[in-house]
Amino acid sequence: MTPGTLQEMTQDSMMTKTDPQVAKSPEVALAVRNLNFYYGENHALHDISMDFQARRVTAMIGPSGCGKSTLLRIFNRMYDLYPGQRATGEVMFDGRNILEHDLDLNILRARVGMVFQKPTPFPMSIYDNIAFGVRLHEKLNKADMDARVQDVLTRVALWNEVRDRLNAPASGLSGGQQQRLCIARSIATRPEVLLLDEPTSALDPISTARIEELLDELKEEFTIAIVTHNMQQAARCADQVAFFYMGRLIEVDSADRMFTNPKQQQTQDYITGRFG
Amino acid sequence: MSDTVVSISGWKPNPRAARRRSADHVATAFGMVMAGILVLVLASILWTLLSRGLAGLSAAAIMKPMGPPGSSSGLANAIVGSLIQTFLALLLATPLGLGCGIYLSEYGTDTNKFASCVRFVSDVLMSVPSILVGLFVYQVMVAPFGHFSALAGSVALAILAVPIIVRTTEDMLRLVPTAMREAGAALGATRWRVTLSLCLRSAKTGVLTGILLALARVSGETAPLLFTSLGNQNWSFSLTRPMASLPVTIYQYAGASYEDWVQLAWAGALLVTMGVLAINIAVRVSARRA
Repeated sequence: MTPGTLQEMTQDSMMTKTDPQVAKSPEVALAVRNLNFYYGENHALHDISMDFQARRVTAMIGPSGCGKSTLLRIFNRMYDLYPGQRATGEVMFDGRNILEHDLDLNILRARVGMVFQKPTPFPMSIYDNIAFGVRLHEKLNKADMDARVQDVLTRVALWNEVRDRLNAPASGLSGGQQQRLCIARSIATRPEVLLLDEPTSALDPISTARIEELLDELKEEFTIAIVTHNMQQAARCADQVAFFYMGRLIEVDSADRMFTNPKQQQTQDYITGRFG
Repeated sequence: MSDTVVSISGWKPNPRAARRRSADHVATAFGMVMAGILVLVLASILWTLLSRGLAGLSAAAIMKPMGPPGSSSGLANAIVGSLIQTFLALLLATPLGLGCGIYLSEYGTDTNKFASCVRFVSDVLMSVPSILVGLFVYQVMVAPFGHFSALAGSVALAILAVPIIVRTTEDMLRLVPTAMREAGAALGATRWRVTLSLCLRSAKTGVLTGILLALARVSGETAPLLFTSLGNQNWSFSLTRPMASLPVTIYQYAGASYEDWVQLAWAGALLVTMGVLAINIAVRVSARRA
C-alpha cells in the first residue's frame, strides 16, 4: 500500500461521512476538521475530519498505534499534560475550537469526561471518589451531594452493591465495580461528552456486558466516543464506527454498514481479522 | 559425539547434576555464614549495650539532670534536649523535604535542568560527612553570634534529614501511576489539587516512612551537634543557648575517668539505640499497613 492510495482512501472516507444515512441526526457534538497531531517529531494523526453526533455512540477501531486513543485524548486536551505534544486543526465543541491556547482546560474537562482503560479508583472512600470531581466544580450541600452520589451510583448499577459501605475505601471493590465507579465519577460532574478509552479491556466478560448495557442507557444523555479493540463490542454498542490505520481515518460510517458492507478493502480486511 | 551430548537415560545418575548440586550447597552455605557473621556482630553490640546499659539505667538516670561526678546525677536534661532538637529539626526539614520531593517528582521532568541539578545536590548532601554539616552551621549560625545554640544544632540535624525526605518523597510519588494523575486531570482538577489530594494521598505511608527514617538517622548524630548546640550540664530550654543532647553526652562521658559517668554513657547509648529501634519498628509497621 503506497501513501498515495492511502491519501485517496482518506478522501474517499470524507465522502462517506456526508452519506445521508449517517447524517440523519443533524446535531453534531464534536466536529473534527483537518486535525493533525504530533508527539514531538512524530506525526501521529494525519488530517482527520469527522463528526461525532450528539447522544450517539461513536466507536473508534483499528490496530494498536493507529491513533485512535490519541484522537480521544485530544478531546479533553489530555495531551497538554505532556510537553512536546501538539495538535493543529480544529475540533469544534459548542461553538469553540477546543484546541485554542486560551481555553480553560478545567471547564473543558468538566464538560468532556473520560474513563480510562484501567480502573483508577482514587485513594479515598467510594463516596469521596464521586464527590471529589463534583466538589471541583460545584458547591453542594450535604443532602444534594448525597443525592448526586446516589443518582450516579444507581445509574451505573452500583448503588445496591455499595450502599452499605459508601465510606469504605474504593480500592476494595472488584475490577468491574471499580470501572463502574469510574464511570459514575465521570458522569457525576454532568459532562456533555463521555470519552471511553478501552474501558472494558481489563474486565471479565460479565463486567464487560454490564458496562456495554450501561453505555446504551448513557447515550440518551451523553455523546459517547469509545476506543475499542473488540469488534463485537463496536458492533453491539456503536451507532457510528470509525476505522483508523497508521494515523489516518480510513472510513467512518454507521455501524451496520461498517460491519456488513464496508467501502474500503482495508476496513474489510481488518474487520474480518486478516490483519491488525 | 556421545561425549558432548549429555542425555538423561533412565534413572542412571548424572555426574554433572551431582556436581551442580554440591556447588549449590557451597553457595548456600557461604551465604548463610556471611549472614550469620552480620547477625553475630549486631547481636554482640546489642548484648554489650544491654548488659552494661541496663546496669546504669535507673530512675535517677532518667529523672535527674547531669551533674558533677560522684553526685548520683542523671541524663534527664540530655534526653529532653535531644527530643527538643531532633523534633525541631524534623519540623524544619519536613516542609522543605516534602516540597522539594514533590517538585522533583511532579514538576521536575527528566529534561528539566534545574530539577536534575536539585536532585544531584540533594543526593550529594545525603553522603556529606555529618561533621562537615556541623562545621558549616558553626560558621553560619554560631560564629557570627558568638555563642552556641540549640537552634543551630537543630538546623544542622535538619540539613542531614532533608535529603532523606526529598529522596523518599520523590521515589514514593513516582510510584503513583500516571493513570491516577490523568484520571484526576480528566475530572478538571488543577495540578496542585491532583498532587495534594491524589498523589500525596496515595503515597502517604511511604512519605511518612521517609520522615521516620530521617528521624532515626539524625537522632543518633553527634558530630553536627558538637560545634552547634555544644552540650550543657544544666537544664536549658532556650533555643538560643547551648543545649544538652544524648549523643554529645555519651561522647563526653564515655571517655571520662569517672566510673559513674561511664555508667551513664552506657545507659544513654542504650536509650538512643532503643529510640532508634522503636522508630524503625514504627516504620515497618506503617509500611506494612500500606
